[in-house]
Amino acid sequence: MEQYIKPPVEIRYREELEALRANDTGVRPENWQMSPRAVRTFILGSSKPIRHDGKEFTIEKKYFGNDALVERCIVTLAGNRGLMLVGEPGTAKTMLSELLSAAISGVSTNTIQGTAGTTEDMIKYSWNYALLLAQGPSREALVPSPLYVGMEKGILTRFEEITRTPAEIQDSLISVLSDKVLNVPELGDDGFLFARPGFNVIGTANTRDKGVNEMSSALKRRFNFETVMPVREAAMEKRIIVSEVEKLAAESHIAMEVDEDVAEILASTYHELREGVSSYGHRIDRPSAVMSTAEAVSVYYQAMITGYYYGDGTIGMDSLVQNLVGAISKENKDDLEKVKGYFNTVIRDKSSKEGGLWKEYYEARKWLR
Amino acid sequence: MERILRSKEMAEIILLPVRHHSPACAYHVDRTIEELRPDVILVEGPDNADSLIPVMVHEETKAPFAIYYSCHDQSGRISEDRERYKCYYPFLDYSPELAAFRAGKRLGIRTAFIDLPYGDILAASREGKGLRKEEEEKSNYNDDYLLSRNDYLRQLCERTGLRSFDEFWEKYFELNGMRDESKRWFDNLLVYCGLARENTPRESMEEDGCLAREAHMAKRIGEHARELAGTGGTVLVVTGGFHTPGLRALLAGEEEAARAEGKTGKVPEKDQGVYLMPYSMEAADALNGYASGMPFPGFYQKIWERAPESDAPYEDAVLDMVVASGKETRRREGYLSTYDEICACAMAKGLAELRGKREPGAYELQDAVLSSFVKGEYNLASDTPIRILRGLMTGNAVGALCPQADVPPILHDFRGECRRFGLKITSTLESESTLSIFSNPRHRQQSMFFNRMFYLDTAFAKKVKGPNLQLKKDRNLMREIWKYKWNAQVDAALIEVSVYGATIEEAAVSLVKEELKKELGAKESALLLTRVFEMGLQGQMQTVFSRVHQLMLADTDFYSMAEALKSLMMMEELETLYGSGLEFGELISIGCRKLIGLLPSMTRIKDEDLDPCMNAVKLLYRVTGRQGAEGRERDDYYAVLEKMTLDGEINAGLNGCVHGILYGSGRETAEKIEMVCRGYLSGTREQLFSTAQFFRGLFFTARDLVFIGEQFLRMLDGFYGAVSEEEFMELLPKLRMAFAYFTPREIDRIASMAAGIHGKGQRDILERQEVYPDWYAYGKELDAFVKSRMQR
Repeated sequence: MEQYIKPPVEIRYREELEALRANDTGVRPENWQMSPRAVRTFILGSSKPIRHDGKEFTIEKKYFGNDALVERCIVTLAGNRGLMLVGEPGTAKTMLSELLSAAISGVSTNTIQGTAGTTEDMIKYSWNYALLLAQGPSREALVPSPLYVGMEKGILTRFEEITRTPAEIQDSLISVLSDKVLNVPELGDDGFLFARPGFNVIGTANTRDKGVNEMSSALKRRFNFETVMPVREAAMEKRIIVSEVEKLAAESHIAMEVDEDVAEILASTYHELREGVSSYGHRIDRPSAVMSTAEAVSVYYQAMITGYYYGDGTIGMDSLVQNLVGAISKENKDDLEKVKGYFNTVIRDKSSKEGGLWKEYYEARKWLR
Repeated sequence: MERILRSKEMAEIILLPVRHHSPACAYHVDRTIEELRPDVILVEGPDNADSLIPVMVHEETKAPFAIYYSCHDQSGRISEDRERYKCYYPFLDYSPELAAFRAGKRLGIRTAFIDLPYGDILAASREGKGLRKEEEEKSNYNDDYLLSRNDYLRQLCERTGLRSFDEFWEKYFELNGMRDESKRWFDNLLVYCGLARENTPRESMEEDGCLAREAHMAKRIGEHARELAGTGGTVLVVTGGFHTPGLRALLAGEEEAARAEGKTGKVPEKDQGVYLMPYSMEAADALNGYASGMPFPGFYQKIWERAPESDAPYEDAVLDMVVASGKETRRREGYLSTYDEICACAMAKGLAELRGKREPGAYELQDAVLSSFVKGEYNLASDTPIRILRGLMTGNAVGALCPQADVPPILHDFRGECRRFGLKITSTLESESTLSIFSNPRHRQQSMFFNRMFYLDTAFAKKVKGPNLQLKKDRNLMREIWKYKWNAQVDAALIEVSVYGATIEEAAVSLVKEELKKELGAKESALLLTRVFEMGLQGQMQTVFSRVHQLMLADTDFYSMAEALKSLMMMEELETLYGSGLEFGELISIGCRKLIGLLPSMTRIKDEDLDPCMNAVKLLYRVTGRQGAEGRERDDYYAVLEKMTLDGEINAGLNGCVHGILYGSGRETAEKIEMVCRGYLSGTREQLFSTAQFFRGLFFTARDLVFIGEQFLRMLDGFYGAVSEEEFMELLPKLRMAFAYFTPREIDRIASMAAGIHGKGQRDILERQEVYPDWYAYGKELDAFVKSRMQR
């Protein structure tokens, strides 16, 4: 596993997936690697361990937040419509779509990465021009896109950041999604690619970022939409920070424990700045930067790295605040003022009431500049 | 179910645990009664409502209805505050308790309630607990918090991956439970209830009166069982599942019943009221904050209606709701297709399978509509389908009572008053009456009646025209026009307020007293006084008046004081018309002195506060200008105003307003004001800009200034000359507001005077120079020429 910075889901959880497949007794939709119930277990975890190859596996919960949403996603993918995950940045939409494709199709890498420069042939197919010139149009000369592959093999195609591609390019999906057939006119009568069962599309789209395009209603009609909300509970956010940072640390071989108290402070900071009200009831000016849980994870992780390589092997409040500044002052310089104000009211009160780490955190406010 | 086997002294007792509002439970209760044919059916509920049972099971009575309990603690047995209490016990068609009563009627079995009377439950509960919880909303007799809120349950939901107790209940007791054996179903429920009870601390059961109630119920059950001893008969007891283990322990002698002693009859019966009232599904829906029983009465009503025939009542109901909400969404938003509805049904079924439910239920229905009907991000703009579905699931049925139903005295009073004034309350059509309140005493009486009904929030009458003392509008009108409309909701609303008194007047008086207990400001209390004034509650006038007095002394909010003072001035003016017999003079001068005291602190207000502040300054001018205020108040007022003008950072608008008043009272000359104006005009850019605001304040109090001599107009003219076109456009809104205080005639006059300055007559500014056709043609040609050259 060490040869990747971030191994794909199907490699990271290979054993778990195998164990689940071996123990799966449910009915599988055609070409699915496992039954919908097993997919649910893979993503939401199970308290009962399962046995496979003489080993015991406890399936951990991988996606926190809304269980009902995950269930709806699974049912949507078994049906006739695509699945569109929308929401603010950093709400784990991509992670959810990877987990779903890895569980259902066994691969999470059959992906179109949408950008402003995405063209129609990146979505459908393009040609190997040397072969095209030598042989004329043939299947061998055709370079299939992830969508093409998905239809041919009956697996899921992920379309990341779909709203970053221009609306007219997005629309090339419309007929494929409704008719489940892709026509390659150059190949003549053999040019019809009929999608095999198991094919479907998972799209993800941001709603808050700059530079996103509107989707046409025709395309919207072909998807079931699921809105992924930011985590609304500070306790849950802390849990996510701890578990994600542990994963990152293990991958980078950083032998350092995650400090739960620090995670709690960070989680409550992010939570309060996002909600605009503190646990003591202060009203807070909300920064315009995206205060996502994913950002909180990276702030913690970076402070941890600093502590590991430069510090004494513990996580310091100073480096935490320094990294917080970097995460917040991205778009708008007023945001830093808002965070300063937050420290001078909420954190001040908390430090005088709770003492301990809160006090250190308050004292580290000198880095807010 | 729990059986307590017959002994020598007692007949067999069968305890059936139920959850309030549950189709499956109602179904099993009905079946069990049919099977066992007991000799008497006892139901949980205050036993002072026994007389209502025949009305509840009458064919013409339609659910939803509720038993309304009220209690006025005149004896002080509940607490020293001698407060009033009320609560509701709603019944739907699928309430197991109602099913038990209906089965009893069908099979000719005796039925009775067995709980403590409402007042005694209150007396047995600690303050702030159980039925004495201080809630904003209505309090419910059959709140099943004991079953649905505990630690054990929270963990259970987490383990089973379900969102809430309601979903848990639907999955295990409703969806999969309808087809169960009745005995098995009740046994399952009993296991659950036993666990819930084990996880509830005994102190909390003591605090909310739960133990006292159980003791009383056990006593009543024992009485009935002893009566039937030796006959081979059975007693069937239907109570909330939480109580079943407790009752069993008491009846089987495993626990001492001594705690029951001395609990009844504490609160005298005459202080308590119990009536039936029509109820609505909306009110019964737990999601609306009334927190009792299962949510979505509209949805479960469908299940209840279908269950006898259909094999898959839930699937049918889900399909119905998907189609109905789809239709409504299409009507409102227009984008939904039949294919969306097909997808929603497939989603509901798929989710049911994934979640291991026999059929899709309320939660799958909501999920299906959410994922298939909502296009784009889920937010306030796109959630119409969900809101429509919520409405459908709540339902809109309203109950009705049979004509034999007893009504509280306040309703008799209401009907009597309507007869007295010849108001039609037999139909539900809207009628109108016009009242000459000041010339016809009878009309004044009727107006008082309408006002009282309005104050009681009964939605019976509303004033469409006439003097409005609260907004201080239309005070010149001599007549009031009222629209009134009777329907069952008016009766229900009156039953709700029946705890406050036996007549409309009495209820209004008690509510005014309640209002006075709240934290009020001077403004609110003065408003209350105007209401009391309109309602003609002579007896309350003095009390409210003294409260206003007290609050005028205590309140330190400038605007609140100003509003109060304004209300008082108005009431003093109307004194002769309404005849309140109150002496406002002293109160007004207290208010006036306080306002003058607060005035200096208002000097640097923000622009958005300008209007109320200018109004207050003008009001003070009026008050201090009255007879009898010549002495200190008037002098103080002007001294404060003069001091305010010395503050360099005074709000420009307020400055204008103050100068206007000083000018009007002869304390300042026109030249002085002109000088101040010039100060703004010749100031830095920002100060120049605030000139418009200054004019606005000035014209508010002294617009005649413009018409004396030309001086002022010349200065205005200078101002317009000083600003650029762009700046002028920016200032225009404020200038418009400044000139809004002039009448159209005056504006005309100003315009002609201004024209005169520039050597023009009024005519000249109204006429525009005409454009000759050949000029126009030339211009067009020129345009075309330039364009063609540019394109080259």
